[in-house]
Amino acid sequence: MQNEPVDVLIIGAGASGAAIAWSLLETRMRILCLEQGPHLKDKGYPSRDDGYELARYGNFSCDPNVRGLKQDYPINADDSCITPVNFNAVGGSTINFLGHWPRMKPSDFRTRSLDGVGADWPVDYDTLAPFYDMNDRNTGVSGLGGNPAYPDYAPELPPIPIGKLGQTLAKGFNARGYHWWPSDVSILSQDHDGRQKCVNAGTCDLGCAAGAKGGTNFTYWPMLENAGVELRSECRVREILVDEATGFATGVLYHGADGQVHEQMAELVVVACNGVGTPRLLLNSKSKAFPDGLANRNGMVGKNLMFHPLTGVAGVFDEPMLGHEGPMACSILSQEFYETDPTRDFVRGYGLHSGRSTPPMTYALGGYGVDSPIPWGAEHREAMDNVYPYLAGLTVVSEDLPEEHNCVTLDPDLTDSDGIAAPKITYRLGDNTRRMLRHGEERAKEILLAAGAKKVLSKGDDNVWWRAGWHQMGTCRMGDDPVTSVVNGWGRSHDVKNLFIVDGSIFPTAGAVNPTSTIQAMALFIGDCIKTNIETLFD
Amino acid sequence: MWTQTQRTLLDAILDELVPPSNDGTIPGAGALGVADFLPTADAFAPNPVDTTQAVMMALGESFVELTRPEKVAALHLIEAQKPDAFATLVRLTYMGYYSRPDTRPLFGVGAHPIHPQGYPVPREDEALMDELTAPVRARGKVYRDAK
Ligand SMILES: Cc1cc2nc3c(=O)[nH]c(=O)nc-3n(C[C@H](O)[C@H](O)[C@H](O)COP(=O)(O)OP(=O)(O)OC[C@H]3O[C@@H](n4cnc5c(N)ncnc54)[C@H](O)[C@@H]3O)c2cc1C
Ligand code: SF4
Repeated sequence: MQNEPVDVLIIGAGASGAAIAWSLLETRMRILCLEQGPHLKDKGYPSRDDGYELARYGNFSCDPNVRGLKQDYPINADDSCITPVNFNAVGGSTINFLGHWPRMKPSDFRTRSLDGVGADWPVDYDTLAPFYDMNDRNTGVSGLGGNPAYPDYAPELPPIPIGKLGQTLAKGFNARGYHWWPSDVSILSQDHDGRQKCVNAGTCDLGCAAGAKGGTNFTYWPMLENAGVELRSECRVREILVDEATGFATGVLYHGADGQVHEQMAELVVVACNGVGTPRLLLNSKSKAFPDGLANRNGMVGKNLMFHPLTGVAGVFDEPMLGHEGPMACSILSQEFYETDPTRDFVRGYGLHSGRSTPPMTYALGGYGVDSPIPWGAEHREAMDNVYPYLAGLTVVSEDLPEEHNCVTLDPDLTDSDGIAAPKITYRLGDNTRRMLRHGEERAKEILLAAGAKKVLSKGDDNVWWRAGWHQMGTCRMGDDPVTSVVNGWGRSHDVKNLFIVDGSIFPTAGAVNPTSTIQAMALFIGDCIKTNIETLFD
Repeated sequence: MWTQTQRTLLDAILDELVPPSNDGTIPGAGALGVADFLPTADAFAPNPVDTTQAVMMALGESFVELTRPEKVAALHLIEAQKPDAFATLVRLTYMGYYSRPDTRPLFGVGAHPIHPQGYPVPREDEALMDELTAPVRARGKVYRDAK
């Protein structure tokens, strides 16, 4: 079935797809977005149910292999110590993300020049700063200005409460003389722009029934749909088509909500399917011109997969920490150990995040992102009565370095519900990361004790959290050299001149912060470059 | 779902997996009725009833007659002999137990569905924030220039 051609076809309605659509609005081009997932009803989130925590282990799990819904593609992570997690719907993974909103720092864009590892980005912090600001305005960001860990900027809204847990840990950081700061969050600390403020429910991964979190289903998409961007949900792109003669992308084949395969032609194709979904789609788009997958003449599509491997340490305090009250991942963030220090046995660094605690079921089942239930019997009673309410933890979130052997390929057997080959992840933890995590665990213990913890609990077993592939980066990296990168400095494929990639797969390095504010700032930057270069876009 | 005999056995098992508190203020998983949850749990494990029955059969009806230390020893034995079924039963027991609104307050968490009510958490006033961040601000810049 054929549809009327469009000017711009965006694949994926998550964080990056929404941001670039907004940037291109003013061009008055006809924009269509195809999204494999549904448009969820705002009121339908599980946090309104009595047994809300159960959804975390069923159809609102962050793991597509657990959810197993029609719109989810399975991911084979048998050869990985971390499994990628996501959400497939209008809003993408910002439906279940946690709204932690740190920016990357100037040094993150220059790791090769400064530290001899990774790769320099073709853009720098100063170039991106106005796009961070623009995206923050569209999203609604809360935080405290004056953070000495960044060049000067100030979030528009006051910080969300750091709570008893945050205040307690802050004192520990102060006692050690370490940096910390209230987390920047894409969560409303006060009513804003017709949206309701956060009610401190603490289950941000179950979708935000208050609409306070910066999911693009609440931020960009209402604006975009009002402005006439066409959004077709439950439409899964099977492959991107190319003109064999010109090497240009001509459009896509997709499985529609009606169960039929459709052809959609477009002048310009933008891929925004996240760091696993994007290489998967390109590798599935084989043609005579691109027998190994689209935009993959140099074989770099899918290579250099990066996560933010993490581990956690918890302190048991004398008083209840009320850790379940407040946005789940965000209280305070320390960037004391973020930058390279030559006296350490690793390069680059990590952040110490004080997330909050979960309600009791998730704790009993091992914690968020971990499948390792606490003991049964008398030990269970002890843990639930005398440990759980008194916990405050720190998570060590490390910078992953790009390594070619960590990659996304196509699984030879596994397919999604439309019979399209599923991705396979091959990933192992680098030695640098391992050393970094060990260092972080030791520092976290010190800080918790300095904050007054009477006991510190740490697994100390070199295992990272399994269901923690929240951030998927690097698999179609950007760069000036067409031999070592997939897209150029403004997201355009080196091989296919009317194909753009705008999600985290273009990150040359990962930094050690949650990536979405940078992903969206980059998407806005790329949109801006498209507008600036519109006359010569395909030259 | 369960016959009376099965239910008695299952409640006894569940009361050992999540036992009551010594002072009796927190009920065990058997007394709380988690047995009713297990047959409804097929979204969280394949064949929850078969899995539960496998553990029950391995323990046998005489389990209910044992002293508490004997019950614990018997459960450890079955955990070693049937690790997968046992682990699934433990997991489902925790799910059934902690998904109940009446158990959450026992651990300091609200009984209510978490939205729309949430929790009233006041924002720290500026003076407190100033005091807490003073040492961090006093140290000054902690990021690296990249030029
Ligand atoms: C549980 C969780 C917590 C997180 N917490 C944070 C946080 O606190 N802070 C932070 O910065 N980041 C967080 N993240 C990460 C954040 O959600 C992602 O970085 C961000 O959403 C990525 O944006 P994206 O546009 O690349 O992909 P997504 O937002 O995932 O959107 C991609 C979209 O593409 C669609 N798609 C994929 N393939 C196809 C296809 N073939 N056809 C049609 N549609 C397709 C998908 O269905 C999806 O909707 C979290 C993620 C998770 C899962
Ligand atoms: S804690 Fe706040 S941001 Fe998170 S889901 Fe609840 S209302 Fe939304």
